[in-house]
Amino acid sequence: MMSAGDNKSTEGGKNANSWLGSEQRRLLIQEYGIFLAFVILVAVLSVSNEFFLTAGNISNVLLQTSINGVLAIGMTFVILTRGIDLSVGSVVALAGIVSASFVTSSATAGISGAPYPVALGLGIGLLVGIACGAISGVIVSRFSVPAFVATLGMLSAARGMTLIYGGGRPVPALTPAFRWIGTGNILGIPAPVVILAVVFAISWWILNRTRFGRYIYAVGGNPHAARTSGINITRTQFVVYVISGGLAGLAGMLLSARTGSALPQAGIAYELDAIAAVVIGGTSLSGGVGRVTGTLIGALIIGVMNNGLDLMGIQSYYQQVLKGALIVGAVMLDQKRNYGA
Amino acid sequence: MKRLMIALASATALLASSAMAQEKIKIGAAPYGLNAEFMQIWAAALQEHPAVKSGEVELTVFDGRYDALVQQDQFKTMATQKYNAIIFAPIDVDAGAAAVQTAADAGIPVIGSNTRVNSDLLTSYVGSDDTISGYMEAKTVLDKIGCKGNVVILEGPIGQSAQISRLEGNKKALAECPDVKILEDQTANWSRAEAQTLMENWLTSHPNQINGVIGQNDEMALGAIEAIKAAGLDLKSFTIAGIDGITDALHAVKAGEMTSILQDARAQAQGALDLAIFAAKKGDYKPQSDIWATYKDMPWKDGKEKIYNVPWTPVTAENVDQLLATRK
Repeated sequence: MMSAGDNKSTEGGKNANSWLGSEQRRLLIQEYGIFLAFVILVAVLSVSNEFFLTAGNISNVLLQTSINGVLAIGMTFVILTRGIDLSVGSVVALAGIVSASFVTSSATAGISGAPYPVALGLGIGLLVGIACGAISGVIVSRFSVPAFVATLGMLSAARGMTLIYGGGRPVPALTPAFRWIGTGNILGIPAPVVILAVVFAISWWILNRTRFGRYIYAVGGNPHAARTSGINITRTQFVVYVISGGLAGLAGMLLSARTGSALPQAGIAYELDAIAAVVIGGTSLSGGVGRVTGTLIGALIIGVMNNGLDLMGIQSYYQQVLKGALIVGAVMLDQKRNYGA
Repeated sequence: MKRLMIALASATALLASSAMAQEKIKIGAAPYGLNAEFMQIWAAALQEHPAVKSGEVELTVFDGRYDALVQQDQFKTMATQKYNAIIFAPIDVDAGAAAVQTAADAGIPVIGSNTRVNSDLLTSYVGSDDTISGYMEAKTVLDKIGCKGNVVILEGPIGQSAQISRLEGNKKALAECPDVKILEDQTANWSRAEAQTLMENWLTSHPNQINGVIGQNDEMALGAIEAIKAAGLDLKSFTIAGIDGITDALHAVKAGEMTSILQDARAQAQGALDLAIFAAKKGDYKPQSDIWATYKDMPWKDGKEKIYNVPWTPVTAENVDQLLATRK
């Protein structure tokens, strides 16, 4: 895979003088195609709708992308190791409702003594997510159960636990201090957007600047080579599910803080949008190839598209069709990049 | 050997249960799913029915898990176990008919509750007419904005019977106010989070133009409220309506943020149970639930009616505390 790509760039190098040689242009489009698509989408929407490029709407799009963005970044870690995490939508609901029960001022929906300080609620929500991720991680890495199966199990189990924990009822009346993480502003920027930015920055750093990041790419790219070079595959796999679970927990709290109430039906099918963002962002489902920057742009494309079509008053059914086309198109581009035209 | 043991054990269990059935009436309740608040209130109300509490009726609730096939299989189970009557809230109008047929073949009466089914074999039905609530909520909004201005509609999943009927009611009220413009009209799939996103985007594309929000259920109306709050706008300049009377909405009504119309899950459940016992005892029964006294507009009529329409109750500042007291 790598050598094929290297060959192509050498071939392209021959045309280096004619800046846009056909081969190079093709490479450019493949490498930055997703970014280009994003720019074109924004340009088209800016021209066709007067409200699209207003400060308020840009803030809205970022806000609406934040939850899927956080989930998709976690998903990127997992997919880079050739895995998948189907459980994130259910973990969103479980972490959301458990943390909410600590920070609700409702006399009946919370646990005794609630509301507790925000920090405790946040800590509990993260712990719930991390615990779910750890269970999936152990099952995948230690017991060699396919990730699809292990996390499918967690998808069902976490949803069930959500309904058991809350008796199937929502947890309303979350304290204003907790709601701030979903509705507050930091220097005029919505808090969830700031959180997404921080999550992105840390993830970029881990994947691009740390040894663990290199291990993730190695495990996904070629597990056998990774093993012979002494990388602890079991631990690497375990940790990526913990990261995905923890971020799902965070996303669950962002969602309940935003809607003001933790709902047991929250997060249904969120895993699909997260996977879509990763795939549109150019990360290969066969592992080892991809960038978290691509994922962020993938999530933004989905967010911008939904927002733009809403602004133009187009039925949401068209949004689903377009998203489907985007996913398949992105993977076709990915196949071409990996295996040649 | 092991198989024989199991066979023996289940045979004993069957014998025991049929012996008990001679004293108790066995009634099965088949709601389409128990994940949402409405159906939980509904199921809890069945358990609180006087006939269940006194032990006269043995009630089993089957969670349909939002799947027509699951419900159909549950009907087969109830037929094999010789239930005396079944209360049915189907997931789908048409898919539910096959289940009713199964019960009819086994000679078990079926009472519909909450959701409709296309079947002549239903003994009777207790529910609320969604076109009426759709009309009522839209009328409330239109009256408040003085029959002029602009509204948006948040719809349920397109094609579901409640969405179709509530929209019909919405449109009927809107037709009485030809000056009112519908700016947007989209589905948010009964979901608070989806409605919040839609409303955020509509507030952007129609700045200072939206006067009324018609939410076809409370969840979506609550999502719109959150969007308005998040945008830093004054809720007082919007008229927002929802339907169902879920607990969060009751709190919002109390805070003066929206209006809602109570769909009485308790009455739909207990009314259906009274009719089920009536059918199981072949007419030798007087209804025990207090709902018949509460709703003078829905007389018992000797259990002979085909359709019992539970009236809708607008949630107001006056009755909201009383309603909240019933939710624990």
